[in-house]
Amino acid sequence: MAVRLSRRKITGYIAEQLMAGVKTEQLVLQLAAFLIDSKRTNEVGLIVRDIEYELTKRGIIAAQVTSAFDFTEATRLAVTKLIKEKTGAHQVYLRQFIDPDVLGGVRIDLPGMQLDTTIARRLTTLRTNYKK
Amino acid sequence: MHMLTQLASTTPVSGGLFEALGIDWKTLVIQIIAFLILVWALGKFVYPWLMKSVDERQANIEAATKAAAQAQTAASDAQVKVAQLLKQAQANAADILATAKLESVTALAVSEEKSRKRAEQIVSDAQAEITKEVIGAKKLLYNETLELVAMATEKVIGKVATSKTDSKLIEDAIKAVK
Repeated sequence: MAVRLSRRKITGYIAEQLMAGVKTEQLVLQLAAFLIDSKRTNEVGLIVRDIEYELTKRGIIAAQVTSAFDFTEATRLAVTKLIKEKTGAHQVYLRQFIDPDVLGGVRIDLPGMQLDTTIARRLTTLRTNYKK
Repeated sequence: MHMLTQLASTTPVSGGLFEALGIDWKTLVIQIIAFLILVWALGKFVYPWLMKSVDERQANIEAATKAAAQAQTAASDAQVKVAQLLKQAQANAADILATAKLESVTALAVSEEKSRKRAEQIVSDAQAEITKEVIGAKKLLYNETLELVAMATEKVIGKVATSKTDSKLIEDAIKAVK
């Protein structure tokens, strides 16, 4: 009878392998095979989130940034620097999404943290917080 | 004048006084006896009956007088009683009138007080309602203005924003966060 591995152990293992320099494609294949075999494919979203969390603990941040326009190189560097300062990470990976609905500014989503300076957010705050 | 002198000079007749006066003493005695008999008969038969009638009449008169006096007294008493009753009735009527006046004044005062309080309450409620509606209208206006500003800002920024302005905005935001 196979022992059911906890999500924490799985994600810890993947993070360790990534830190050790194992190829990402290989780890993805292993993880997919394992999830299919153990019939836990519905946990894939949670596992990805936990892997990001484990990597964050190890100083590697995968940040999702959303803006209305594409970043210039200077902006990208400034955002990366900001994330490093705020989280203490030594390595930052940015995944950028272009969303014209945010109007302007940037929204940075980190594991367990969000920094939203978009105009859309400010307008939402204006509509909700200042409404009587 | 001559006749009188002739009579005065006549000599007195002998035979005493009765004869001189022309009185027959036998006739006189008989007349006295008859008179006494008459007196006795009257005293025996007529006088008692007459006295009895007189007494009865007297008694009737006295009784009538007494009854009249009693009636007068009773009438007088009745008049006094009527006067007392009238006075009492007047006093009672005055009391009743005074009480009625007092009650009417009190009732009027209570009614006026109630009306005044009711009027004040109505005015107060109306003012509160007006104030509430004004506050609601102000709030609605404020919220609609807020929404309008947000919408206008969205439209304007959507038109005027460029990559350059966005980069500047992001840089400023990062500086503000630091």
